[in-house]
Amino acid sequence: MIKRVIDFWLFFRVLVFPGFTFILFFTLFCDWVERKIEARMQNRVGPAVAGPAGILQPLADLIKLLSKEEIVPTNAKKRFFRITPVLAFSIMVFAICFLPIDGSSAISSSGFAGDLIFVMALVTIANFLLFVSGWASSNPYGAIGASRVLTQFLGYDIPLFLLALTPAFLAGNLALSVIALSQYKFIPFIILTPWAFVLFIITLQAELEKDPFDIPHAESEVVGGLETEYGGGRLAFLHLTRDVQIVLGAALVVTFFLGGPYGPVFFGFPEFWYSLWFVLKVLGVVVLTEYITCLFARLRIDQVLTANWRILLPLSIVSLALTIAMVTWVYPLVI
Amino acid sequence: MPVPDQDSLVSVLQHKIGTVGNILPGQLGKATIQIESALNRKVIQILLENDDGACIIALTGLDLGEKIGLMYHIRTKGLVVTVKTEVSKEDPKIATITDIIPGANFHEREAADLLGVVFEGHPNLSRLVLPEDWPKDLYPLRKDAKLEGVSSKLADSQCNTQPEVKMQQSQTDSRLVNIIVGPQHPALLEPEKFSLKVDGETVMDVEPRIGYVHRGVEKAAEQRTYLQDVYLIERICGICNSCHALTFVGAVEKILKTEVPDRARYIRTIILELNRLHSHLLVLGHAGLEIGYETLFQYMWRDREPIMDLTELLTGNRVISSSMTIGGVRRDLKEEDVPKIKTQLAILRKKMDFYQNLYRNERSLKMRTQNVGILSKDDAIKLCVVGPVARASGVLTDVRKDEPYAAYGEIPFKIITRTEGDTFARLIVRLDEIDESINIIEYTLDNMPSGPYRVRVPRIVVAGEAVNRVEAPRGELFHYVKSNGTAYPERVKVRTPTFANIPAFLKTAIGGSIADVPANFVSLDPCFSCTDR
Repeated sequence: MIKRVIDFWLFFRVLVFPGFTFILFFTLFCDWVERKIEARMQNRVGPAVAGPAGILQPLADLIKLLSKEEIVPTNAKKRFFRITPVLAFSIMVFAICFLPIDGSSAISSSGFAGDLIFVMALVTIANFLLFVSGWASSNPYGAIGASRVLTQFLGYDIPLFLLALTPAFLAGNLALSVIALSQYKFIPFIILTPWAFVLFIITLQAELEKDPFDIPHAESEVVGGLETEYGGGRLAFLHLTRDVQIVLGAALVVTFFLGGPYGPVFFGFPEFWYSLWFVLKVLGVVVLTEYITCLFARLRIDQVLTANWRILLPLSIVSLALTIAMVTWVYPLVI
Repeated sequence: MPVPDQDSLVSVLQHKIGTVGNILPGQLGKATIQIESALNRKVIQILLENDDGACIIALTGLDLGEKIGLMYHIRTKGLVVTVKTEVSKEDPKIATITDIIPGANFHEREAADLLGVVFEGHPNLSRLVLPEDWPKDLYPLRKDAKLEGVSSKLADSQCNTQPEVKMQQSQTDSRLVNIIVGPQHPALLEPEKFSLKVDGETVMDVEPRIGYVHRGVEKAAEQRTYLQDVYLIERICGICNSCHALTFVGAVEKILKTEVPDRARYIRTIILELNRLHSHLLVLGHAGLEIGYETLFQYMWRDREPIMDLTELLTGNRVISSSMTIGGVRRDLKEEDVPKIKTQLAILRKKMDFYQNLYRNERSLKMRTQNVGILSKDDAIKLCVVGPVARASGVLTDVRKDEPYAAYGEIPFKIITRTEGDTFARLIVRLDEIDESINIIEYTLDNMPSGPYRVRVPRIVVAGEAVNRVEAPRGELFHYVKSNGTAYPERVKVRTPTFANIPAFLKTAIGGSIADVPANFVSLDPCFSCTDR
C-alpha cells in the first residue's frame, strides 16, 4: 500500500508538477510573455485575441500546428527528419527535470553529484539534434540554417560551460541542488561574481539564438533556417524545443546566480513558495533576454564567431580565474 | 555644381560629331543626334568621353513601320542627349555598346525581348522580362504583333521558368551550392529571382531573373488616352506613384508646350517630397528588418504613417494619390491645411533626430552595414547607377538640380553625397535627404504663389515627342512619350531607377557574405513593380 502511494507521487511529480505538464504550460506562458514584451517594446499590441490579453495564443498556435498535415519531403532522410524534433524537445524537458524547481528536482532522488555537467551535456545533445533535423530535410536553406546552429554552438559552448563552472566553484559542488542551496545559506552568487553573471547572460543570448545572435533564424537570409521544410506537428515540436530551451536557459541562470527556488519570503507550505520564487525569477530572466533582443540588430556569423573566440572565451577564462582566486583567498576571510 | 550650358554642349557636339551625324538642338533633351546604325558605337564613345560622369539612361525602341527606331538616351553633364538611329525590321541587327558602357546590358536585353532587336556582341542576350515560354518571334512592342491567344497558350504550356529549387551542386565546381533567392523569399517583398552561387557563406556569382511582375504597362499605355494613361502609369509603383505620374504628365506638357501655373508647380513639389519622405522612411525601416533589427523597423513604419495621412490630406488618397493631371494638379492646397502639415513635419523632424543618433551610433547596426557592398565611384558611373545609390558613391547626380522641374529651380536645397559607397552610406544619404525634404516642403509652404492650380489642355495631343526626367525617391526616373497627333500615344517608354540600380547589386554582392546579401540589396531600395512595369 505504501509502495503504491510513493509510486503515485513519483508519477505526479514527473508527469504533472513540477514535471512535464507544468514545464509545458510554463513554457507556453513564457512564450506569451516574450511575445507580449517584444510587441510592447516595438510599439505593437502583440497577441490579443485568444484568452485575456492573448495569453492562450501560444497554446492555440500549438494546437493548430499539431492538427495540421505533415509533409515529409521526398529527398529528406526520413527517419532523422521524423524523430529529431521530438527527441530534441524531450531531451530539453528532461534537462529541466533536474533543476530544483520546487526545492528538489522533478524525479526526487535523481539529482546526483555531477548533474550540472549532465544537464549541460543534454543541452549540447539537443542542439546537435536540431542540427541533424535541419540537415536531414535536404533543403539548402535547412542545411545552411542547420550548419549555422552548429557553427554558432561551437563558438559559445565552451564559454558557456566555463561560466557555468563559476557557481560550482563557489558552492564547492557540481550538484545543481547544492549550488542553489548554498546560495540560500550564504548570498546569491550574482552579488559575489556579477561579472560572471553578465557574461553568462551574453553567452546565453547566443545559446538561445536571440538577437544579436539569432543568426540561425535570419529569415531574410536563410528563410526558415532548419525549420524550412517542417510543418504540422514536427514544426510545433521544433518551436516548443526553442521555447523550452529559453526556459531552460533562464532556469540555469536562476539556479546558478539568482539563488534558485529560495526567496526572501516563505512560510507555511514550502513547495508553493519555492515554485513561486523560481517561476518569478525565471520570468525576470526571460524579460531581460527579450529586452536585449529588442535593442540590437543581428550580427553576421563571422562577427559572432570572432566575438566568441576572441572576446568571450578569454573573458570567461579570466572570469573563472577570478572566481578561483576568490574562492581560495577571499572566501576564507568572509566565512 | 557645374551650370549646364546648352549652347556650349551643342557646340562641342557639333565640333566632335557634326561630320557623322545630324544634330538637332533642343529635341529629346538638350540635343538629338541622328546617325546611321553602323556608327552607334563611335558616336556613343565620343559622347562618353566628353564627360567623366556620362552614362546611358535608357534605350528606347519603337516600331516605325518598315523600320525599328532605336534611341540611346545618354546623360552627359547632367543633361540628356539622344542618339537616334534606325534598323530594318526584317534584319534588326546593331552592334552592342555593353562593352563600352556596361550599364547598357539590361537595356539591350529588354529591347531584344520586346522588339526583337539583335545586339551583336552582347554577352548574354537571353530573356529578361518576358517568360521563358513566350512564343519565339513574337515581339509585343511591335505594332504588328498578334497578341490574341498568347495568354491561353502560356497557361497551357508547361511553364518551366523555375528549373530547380532543390539543393543542387553546380557542375563546374562541386563546392558551389545554388541558393535561390526568390521569386518567393522573405528578403524580397516582391517576386524576382536571384540565383546565388555560394561557396560556404561566400557569394561567388549572382544570376538575376526579372519580369515576374511584368504587366506590359508600356504596351497598355498605347491603347489608352493620355488622361487615362496618367492613372495607368501612376500604378506602375505604389510608393513613387506621383513621380511616375509627373514624369509622364511633364513629357506630355512638353509636347503640348503647356505652361503650368506657378501654384501647381509648388503643389506638385510638396506631393513629390511627401513621396520621397515616406519612401525613405519605408526603406530605412525595411533595412532594419533585413538586418534583424525589428524594433527599428516597427518604429520607422509607425512614424511613416503621419506622412501617409498628410498625403491623404493634400490629395484625398493615402497611397496612389492621383493628384497629377496634364496642365496642373487636381486639387488645390487649402489654407487651413498648411498649419497641419507644418505641425506634422515638425514632429517628424524631432523624431529624425532620434533616428540620426541611432543610425550613426548603434554599433550592431553599423557592424552590419559598414564596409558591406562597397560600390566605387568608377563602378557607379560605369554601371549607370542613379539616385541615392550613386550619391552614396560620390557621384553628384540629382535631376532636381541638373534639370529643375516643378518648383525645384526656385527652392534652395543641398544634394547629399557621401564617398564611402557602402550600405551604411546609402542609408545615411537617405536619412539626410529626409531632413532636406522637410526643409523643401516648409519652404514651399511659405512661398506658395496664388493663382490657378491647373489649366485646361486639349484631349488630342499634337504630333511630337519628348523625354522627361524626375528625381524619384529611388533615383532618376525617365519617360519618353511619342505622340502621333491623336488622343492615344504612339509610344511610352519608362525607365525606372531600380532597373538602372540592379547591376550595382550584382556587382557588390559577389565576393561578399551571404548574410550581407539582404542588407546590401535593401540599401538599393529595390522596387520590382517599377522594374518590370
